[in-house]
Amino acid sequence: MKRKIELYGRLRDAGLGSSVAVELPKAATARQAMSALKSAFGAKAPLLAGCALATGDEVLSPSDELPDGRLAVLPPVCGG
Amino acid sequence: MTASRLDPAALCRAVSSPKHGAVASFVGTVRAVHAGRRVKAVSYDCFVPLAEKELARIAADAEKRWPVRVAVAHRTGRLSVGTASVAIAAGSGHRAEAFEACRFVIEEIKRRVPVWKKEHYFKGDGRWLAGCALHRTRR
Repeated sequence: MKRKIELYGRLRDAGLGSSVAVELPKAATARQAMSALKSAFGAKAPLLAGCALATGDEVLSPSDELPDGRLAVLPPVCGG
Repeated sequence: MTASRLDPAALCRAVSSPKHGAVASFVGTVRAVHAGRRVKAVSYDCFVPLAEKELARIAADAEKRWPVRVAVAHRTGRLSVGTASVAIAAGSGHRAEAFEACRFVIEEIKRRVPVWKKEHYFKGDGRWLAGCALHRTRR
């Protein structure tokens, strides 16, 4: 199934727009989604170093199953 | 999280109470120079739903840790030098916990809230600033 993953911060400058759609098995984990993202990023995959997957409610661990709803890949943060 | 101008005085009013003898506030603003480069503006990108939840959780964490009331607001969008990017107010019975709560909230924002800054310079390309990697926090 296709899942849309939103891109933020430096990932918006990867030339892929504000989101990417990746093909994932049903009940995929965050680790599998990161792996699919690396393939989608190709030569720009180093931009994903230090990034985490998150829902609108929480950051996911690599072993977490992807819940329904919004998914985003988040670079290291620097608010304030 | 807001695209509108911050109002630190309104945050201070929100945490004021007749029981409080102290209101401390912190306002972060856009710096004109960073790492030797002249900054024209800073763009704040944000994953809004999670950022708003984390701000609320941080305020609640501070209120659990100290006898304080906390209010916090953070900007999004492109801000010019001198503009307030984050504002925090903490009201409490005494000054020590108000200062400590303000410090706690800004440090936790930098560590936990999904916000990213891109600096725009007078010379050369803009640059996304480095930050802290996010990790799952079990609740």
